[in-house]
Amino acid sequence: MQCFESGGAEDPDGLYAGGIAFPLLQALQKVNERLLKENPAESLLFDVILITTESQQQQQNSRITESIRHHGLKVSRFCFSNEEDFIENLLNNNVHLFLTTNRNEALQGSQKGVLSVLLDEHTASCPTEQLRVLFCGDAVVQSEAGSALASKQAAQSFSTQLGKMRGRFGPFDSPISIALVTSRGGRESCGDALRTLRSLGVNADEAYCLAGAPRGPIKRLLQPHFLLSECLSSN
Amino acid sequence: MVKMSLEPVQVMSGQVAELPKVAPSSNGDSGGSWEGKREFDKDHLGLTAKPKPVTGRRARKVEGAVFFPKPENAVTVAVSSRVLFRTEREQKVFEQKGVEEYLRYQIEHENEPFAPGPAFPFVKALEAVNARLRELYPQSEELFDIVLVTYNHAHVGIRLINTINHHNLFIERFCMTGGSSPIGYLKAWQTNLYLSADANKVREALTEGIAAATMFMPEKMTEVSKSQLRVAFDGDAVLFSDESERIFKAHGLDKFFEHEKENEDRLLDHGPLKGFLEALGKLQKKFYAKGQRLDCPIRTYLVTARSAASSGIRALKTLRAWGLEIDEALFLAGAPKGPMLEKIRPHIYFDDQMFHVEGAAEMGTIAAHVPYGIAQKHNSKHNTSAGK
Repeated sequence: MQCFESGGAEDPDGLYAGGIAFPLLQALQKVNERLLKENPAESLLFDVILITTESQQQQQNSRITESIRHHGLKVSRFCFSNEEDFIENLLNNNVHLFLTTNRNEALQGSQKGVLSVLLDEHTASCPTEQLRVLFCGDAVVQSEAGSALASKQAAQSFSTQLGKMRGRFGPFDSPISIALVTSRGGRESCGDALRTLRSLGVNADEAYCLAGAPRGPIKRLLQPHFLLSECLSSN
Repeated sequence: MVKMSLEPVQVMSGQVAELPKVAPSSNGDSGGSWEGKREFDKDHLGLTAKPKPVTGRRARKVEGAVFFPKPENAVTVAVSSRVLFRTEREQKVFEQKGVEEYLRYQIEHENEPFAPGPAFPFVKALEAVNARLRELYPQSEELFDIVLVTYNHAHVGIRLINTINHHNLFIERFCMTGGSSPIGYLKAWQTNLYLSADANKVREALTEGIAAATMFMPEKMTEVSKSQLRVAFDGDAVLFSDESERIFKAHGLDKFFEHEKENEDRLLDHGPLKGFLEALGKLQKKFYAKGQRLDCPIRTYLVTARSAASSGIRALKTLRAWGLEIDEALFLAGAPKGPMLEKIRPHIYFDDQMFHVEGAAEMGTIAAHVPYGIAQKHNSKHNTSAGK
């Protein structure tokens, strides 16, 4: 599975300090480590590609690679692209999940058919030892005309892969935790979402049916690295 | 690494906007009685407001009323799946065969509803009160809100949802934590009362300031009222702090009487269940305001070993100073509580001493243990609290 990251903050020592996605990268790495521990011949692993379109960062590409090494992160590829081409890069590299803090990039990515997820500042304070993914059962979908079905399929494929990875571990002490939250509907909508996830091969660890209760406190407690929604929206 | 082709997708923002509440037109009115195993209705979408067939069960008569009250307005009662339903068989599978087998068993039996547990009559009574409240105040969010809490993993939680449907319970909020502590969520939901089968979790809740009690499955459950919620409380270390009980345990009965007499006009400090009594009182006043004092569907009881003539006075004065009304105060002066509770038939009785909880259960009363205060160090079947 391939994820793209985008951007990173600078620090005075000339190395880039950990950006928002830092804990996420560490968690992804943790998952890989544990997967390989269970099965050294495991092929279903996370493959992280770092992409940046900022020319300043590109001129200092050694700085980026140094920083990555310094922080002990495993990035398999670096992609320096300009703003026009980066989507092509995503497609050419067969990216399954594109993570960014840049809303425009996320929009562009999704318009071209890449599952794109917007990260926010909360990701920075997420755990590093466990990848936490949150499925939103009844979120508002901003749909582009004609792309609803395709979007759903891409999200479903990714989810199935994630479910497979989760299945490599037991119920406790797993480096991946999958949670479901339904905000508006009652128990039936949550039950349906659980069944939908199960049909995709995803066994949720946690589920919270809010039925109108505020999401904020729950999301703060769950500390998800990122959120997924399309695969659960109705057609 | 798996290579997969992608097709055009939509962007999903990492943040989802808060949406206005919608009152669904139907809730939990799934079909009639279960006859053995039955295929769960997979066609039901749950997202559209299509009318559900009501086969011999009561319909939700009040349209446009509030179904999902805001947590801060409602009296939130969080109930563990192990006390709402009977899960002994599953517990045994877990203990004897381990977690993997337990999960398999649950999924295999997903369409078999659980039988009612000790908290079931209590929850049903809460719903009866809600029905009356909705008739009188259709737009009000001051209702009981029942939240199901379980440590189970979510993918075996479907059996719980099926069970709620089967029993036609009005539970729309739940929390399946997959093994982690639910206390954070209970706080986020401003829980007024948490009932669990696990004393450790109850203790954790109490330290976080949430009223909580441990429930046990009694061998027999005497029948309780379906139309009036009856809640009974012990006094010391439940409604009040355990300060007086400490005196009694340390220095004996005479010193206890002396101390209470000297401090008659000094209020007792509050105990862990005071807040819940307060919440009940607020709802009771809503019925009184509509002229339904005599027909109030909530009734509260104090069942204490204190004596009416002496040590009980301090308890009453404290309640009065707190502005709390209790419908019936029974001062037993040390007499056993069992027979009195058997007459009252509360849906739940809170006591801090296992001796009383067990005694009540022996006579069929549903009793819950509040693991608070000095009595926990002395908890044993042979401990008595005579003649307070």
